[in-house]
Amino acid sequence: MSEDIKHLSAELARDPQSLVFLRLGELLRQKRQFEAAARVAVHGLERHEHLADAHDLYARILADRHDYERAFDEWDMTLRIAPHHTGALKGLAFLYFKVGDLAQAEAHLQAAHKIAPDDPSIGQAFAVIRGEAPAPGGEPLPLPVAEHVAPLPDTRVFAGLEGAQEGLLLLDAAGLVLGGALKTQEGADVTEAVAAYLAGVSHEAMRTAKLLGLGGWRGLSAEGQSGHVHLGQPTADSLLLVMRDHAVPLGRLALLAQRAAQAARRWLERQQ
Amino acid sequence: MSARLVRALDLITRVRGVRGAMVVARADGLVVAEQLMEGIRGNTVAALTASLAGRLHRAMVAAGLGPSQFWHLQCEQGAVLAVPAGAALLIVAVAEPEVNVGLVRLELLRAAEAAV
Amino acid sequence: MTTVRAVETWTLDPLTTYVTEAGARLVLLMTPAGQVLAQAGFSRAVDVMSASALGAAIMASTNELARQMGQSPFNGLNHQGQRHGIFLSAFVTDRGPLIVLVVYELDVSSLGLVQLFLEQLVADLRAASPKAGATRKVLAADFERELNESLNTLFGR
Repeated sequence: MSEDIKHLSAELARDPQSLVFLRLGELLRQKRQFEAAARVAVHGLERHEHLADAHDLYARILADRHDYERAFDEWDMTLRIAPHHTGALKGLAFLYFKVGDLAQAEAHLQAAHKIAPDDPSIGQAFAVIRGEAPAPGGEPLPLPVAEHVAPLPDTRVFAGLEGAQEGLLLLDAAGLVLGGALKTQEGADVTEAVAAYLAGVSHEAMRTAKLLGLGGWRGLSAEGQSGHVHLGQPTADSLLLVMRDHAVPLGRLALLAQRAAQAARRWLERQQ
Repeated sequence: MSARLVRALDLITRVRGVRGAMVVARADGLVVAEQLMEGIRGNTVAALTASLAGRLHRAMVAAGLGPSQFWHLQCEQGAVLAVPAGAALLIVAVAEPEVNVGLVRLELLRAAEAAV
Repeated sequence: MTTVRAVETWTLDPLTTYVTEAGARLVLLMTPAGQVLAQAGFSRAVDVMSASALGAAIMASTNELARQMGQSPFNGLNHQGQRHGIFLSAFVTDRGPLIVLVVYELDVSSLGLVQLFLEQLVADLRAASPKAGATRKVLAADFERELNESLNTLFGR
């Protein structure tokens, strides 16, 4: 393998536009040289930004580095370019499995299985999801055909993002939940209870900003006794609440909120 | 208005970018004490920030986070920051958008101690 | 949403805006004599009649109190209970002197909000009010008919 890496590196140096970066990046990833693999993948993406396999490669490297949010973004982009990319479908299945969303994991693997029914790797994933086999690091296992057709990625707004099911909430202008969920530190689901108040909070924030001559409102951050929240508007008619415990300072929370807002906007665009 | 409270509001307004500070009665939304620059209407700030604080409080309690201890409303052309002072009062600062939030927050917390 | 009904239609828009912004539960707009021009949130005629009579009487009493204290009439009166507050204020328009009675819930609104948006209400009413014309003499027979017509209007019947 080392000889292959040397050979491919030389070829890439001779011709930076070459697609050998895909093979080189994968070999480096398999050798767990993630920094080098990431550099190669990014190098390739700069020259081939519409190449689905390049995004897929980068996503696999990110997943190996446990950067699941960005891995999700890259596999999401892969599917936008190539909706039948089985690597991306399997990758997203892995991410859903990691966050505990087994239904979505199964749905993605089923979609991959429909495209590549002879792919042996897909068949084993069912066992992992059902606890019949352990999951190796970074790779989803094969899955037999599921009996039902489940929805595709669109139904989970924040899939792949940390805290998707307990600290992120997207509402429409009327205060109805579009995606995400909120849970207390004790695990109690407070999604509906909080959603009922947020439309009023945002209305008052808007009114305060307007009547004090401060223009439009951009966000509202708050510290509580046992955690922090950030409320913002990804679009003019939606609200996004991000909630974290005290370990996440308000400044970091605002960055998380930006990321979640991007995911929310992409999801909202897909609904139109 | 007690000397401690006057001093506390003074320290808040000395932070660069703060346009005014005031003490608000949370339940009534009325001004208790104020140091405001020209162009800021105290009764408007008091009524609206008390109302926003109340709504935010209910949302945060529902979320299991307990009452709000500090909040920061970010706007296109400014900011409003507030901390509660006991059960009855709110210390509020109105500021420019680029204000040092950490510094204002510190002074608001000091003012809250002085007010209680 | 609280429905606003008005005997004198020029009061409709200003009062509708006020009810929304102040978060008021009940509002009565009336003359110092207790004649109701508009109401919001009331569901029974008897409640309107009682509230207007009492509100006018409260204002008259406190005005007398102010006079005896040697000062001008109070800008506003606030009574606060456990869950509700009642606010009364008097002002002058081209239509003549008017009183507004506001009932607000303490967990929805506040005295600060009620007073804050009152300024705009007064300005809007002054802008919309008709010019004062010749005062019409009200006969006893007319009075009952006009009262019934007003009540029908105030309750959308």
